[in-house]
Amino acid sequence: MSTRIVRSLVGAFLALTFSLAASAASKELNLFAWSEYVPQSVLDGFTKSTGIKVNYETFASGEEMLAKLLAGGTAYDLIQPPDYIAEALIKNKLLVPLDYKKLPRFKNLLPAFLKMPHDPEQKYTIPYMASTVGIVVNSERVKEPVTGIKDLFSPKYKGRIVTVDDGRELVTAALYVLGYPLNDINAKNLKEARPLLAQWIKLIKLFDSDSPKTALLNGDVDLGYVWGGEAALLWNENKKFIYVLPKEGAHQFVDVLAVPKGAKNSDAAHAFIDYLLRPEVSKIISDEFPYTNPNGEARKLLSPEQLANPASYPKDTRKLDTFRHLGDSGAMIDELITDLKNAK
Amino acid sequence: MQALAIPDAENLHARRPRLWGWVLLAPLVAWLVAFVVVPMVILFGYSFCTRDDLGRVVFSFTLENYGRVFDPIYLRILGRSIGFAAVTTVLCVAIGYPVAWYIARQPERIRDKLLLLVMIPFWTSFLIRTYAWIAILKNEGLLNGMLQYVGLISAPLPLLYTPAAVLIGLVYAYLPFMILPIYGSAEKLDNALVEAAHDLGAGPMRAFSEVIIPLTWPGITAGMLLVFVPAIGMFAITDLMGGAQVPMIGNVIQNQFFRARNAPFGAALGVVFTLMFVLAYALVHRRASRTR
Amino acid sequence: MPTPVSSSSRFQLPSGLKLMNAALGGWTVLVFAFLYLPIAVLVIYSFNTSRLNIVWEGFTFDWYARVWQDTRLMRALQNSLIVATVTTTASVVIGTVGAWLLHRYRYRFSHAIQTLIAVPMIMPEIVMGISLLIFFTTLSVELGFFTVIVAHTTFCFPFVLVAVQARLHGLDPSLEEAALDLGATPIRAFWLVIVPCLKPAILSGGLMAFTLSMDELIVTFFTSSAQSATLPLLVFGMAKVGLNPMLNALSALFILATVAFVLFTEHLRRMSRR
Repeated sequence: MSTRIVRSLVGAFLALTFSLAASAASKELNLFAWSEYVPQSVLDGFTKSTGIKVNYETFASGEEMLAKLLAGGTAYDLIQPPDYIAEALIKNKLLVPLDYKKLPRFKNLLPAFLKMPHDPEQKYTIPYMASTVGIVVNSERVKEPVTGIKDLFSPKYKGRIVTVDDGRELVTAALYVLGYPLNDINAKNLKEARPLLAQWIKLIKLFDSDSPKTALLNGDVDLGYVWGGEAALLWNENKKFIYVLPKEGAHQFVDVLAVPKGAKNSDAAHAFIDYLLRPEVSKIISDEFPYTNPNGEARKLLSPEQLANPASYPKDTRKLDTFRHLGDSGAMIDELITDLKNAK
Repeated sequence: MQALAIPDAENLHARRPRLWGWVLLAPLVAWLVAFVVVPMVILFGYSFCTRDDLGRVVFSFTLENYGRVFDPIYLRILGRSIGFAAVTTVLCVAIGYPVAWYIARQPERIRDKLLLLVMIPFWTSFLIRTYAWIAILKNEGLLNGMLQYVGLISAPLPLLYTPAAVLIGLVYAYLPFMILPIYGSAEKLDNALVEAAHDLGAGPMRAFSEVIIPLTWPGITAGMLLVFVPAIGMFAITDLMGGAQVPMIGNVIQNQFFRARNAPFGAALGVVFTLMFVLAYALVHRRASRTR
Repeated sequence: MPTPVSSSSRFQLPSGLKLMNAALGGWTVLVFAFLYLPIAVLVIYSFNTSRLNIVWEGFTFDWYARVWQDTRLMRALQNSLIVATVTTTASVVIGTVGAWLLHRYRYRFSHAIQTLIAVPMIMPEIVMGISLLIFFTTLSVELGFFTVIVAHTTFCFPFVLVAVQARLHGLDPSLEEAALDLGATPIRAFWLVIVPCLKPAILSGGLMAFTLSMDELIVTFFTSSAQSATLPLLVFGMAKVGLNPMLNALSALFILATVAFVLFTEHLRRMSRR
């Protein structure tokens, strides 16, 4: 009895797998991107105009993406890594150079977002959306000006701060305060940063990378060191949430599009990139997600209110830093932060 | 009363398997080998490897990963995770046992439905459920509002992002996994048995401790296993309701694969963690079958 | 096997037991209130006008209308249900038969098998997810429903097995012997005599397996393809842009549908009895 059930179940599984495998034709694009980052209407529009079906597979962090990509399994045609992971993929020859003849709308991109340190020759990646990491202040509850990281991590704000749960961001903040460049991560600098971080971690009420806006909006904390996208959503919700780029230095990150080695449908990937570069399409993405849009033509279509959002389009014009690929010093950061949190 | 018994080790009527016994067991063994043993072997292999700067595993031999595992930091984190899991288990038994017992005493028609009602809340998304708890426990939340309205407190109590909030979240998440197995073994008890104990002059308390508990013990141990073991590795609740202030062993292992990009060390942690558990389990199991 | 509850005894409870029963009933009501408190909050928030859905802003039915049109959400729910249903079925079969065999026979490796069964419960999700992905990739198994279901079944069936074992403990061995004496084959005896006795534990185990499968995130991430992505993957991704009330509406509708289904089947059963 049981074996028969097992046998028929196995049969059903196999049939299901094969039918799915068989349907994977050349008119399909395997996209591996951040979840909720590519609006459904954009995917539908692309399918309508090209006939190519998009299989949108999602991840929730760059590291998750890297782990699944490296293990193999699915042949992705287009991936959406953050800048520093793209750099690592380029170094390890895991990306395919882009064919700019197939990307006529490349010219829509603003020069500030091109030839960035992760891809100095602009050979492998196309910027999708950018943002910064900065300070959010609930101006109804905090009356004093908070302009930098030092102001934020002041003992008077103990138990009123949320930060992203990301060791590298915290270490970056410490390096800024110490006056070191944010990519100089070595044993000596980390040793210097340690007492500073130990002191900060005691002040922080919660660490949340996925939705630091929750605690701010709930009023459980009054200050935050968060992603610009989160701050932009908060500002849209209530203008009392002010976004500040720390005066010590600010980190900008860019999510890019790239074609990985082993892609089966590079043509479709290029077609999709070019479709995303259309101003009217790029505008849809900006309407859904208030990040910084690197597409100059699309910015012309945005409303004054969108452009006025200080977290999406900071007035601050100074040069921003980007993360570089760290190699194995990532483990040092993780060990340090685990140790400090553990001592809490 | 017997020691923590793995429920089945003591069936005195068990016989030696003949052909059919082996044939029927084969699929289970094959499944375990393919999807538990093989992954464990892969992981074991990884734990002796090194990695390149992208985090890919490089095949070489090193014992360095194991050298780090026994760092006091990680032992302390493991101790904390076990502590939270233990408290959760005890609270789940205390809260869940009476419920399981009560449901088991209802007419058959109602029983199944009550059982389903225990589980239905968990068919909503974990994150949505947890955010509902956040709405209840936050400073300006439901609970603080109610306590202030009644006049019990004058200023909001900081409930969220404290160990208490973590425990509420853990007990909430694991309670059904205690109630259901206990129900499974309490259901077969006859009321007549309880009454007999009572008729023989035992008060409800004695009837409970000398008749009911021993007879439902297999269900309690099963529930303890199903709550305690998964709770050790749990960290999503600690992160969301505790504010990720202190690391749990689950965070540490996951971080090795993601943020630290040190899969070999993560593998070593995973291997040691799993082996410690297997040893503890085998010891308890052996003692349970020897006490007979 | 004694009959579950003799109805005559329930009405002649001694006063001490009556008091205890009332106390237990009161406690059960409290615990159900605890279980449903967040669900009530969740339902209330499904009428929130705020898209971020963190603080209450205003009342609307809008999300209930929109949830049907969100094809990705409906697709993810459908995938979750397919995966959870097949996983539960497979877990119940493997778990029940496995528990019975380990109970009935004394294998040379019983202890080892018993321990191995518990390993998926302790193995960190990430370890299981990555190692299964490597395993599937090495065998060139394409990721999809099959791989997700296999992975889910691996960590779900131990829950069924443990619950059923607890029930088997102390089971009257003469039951099966009587059936065998009457000429039933061991398999028939198992199906006709043992399975009915195990029903409450099978139901408990099946409910646990279904719930675990519906909620699993990390293992699903590593073993799924775009087509087989489940609801938790979608929901966790949405946290970044706000868990909009549509998700609450979906949860509320799902609970409502389940409760309606349970009442409806009961109604049907009663109708057919008449």
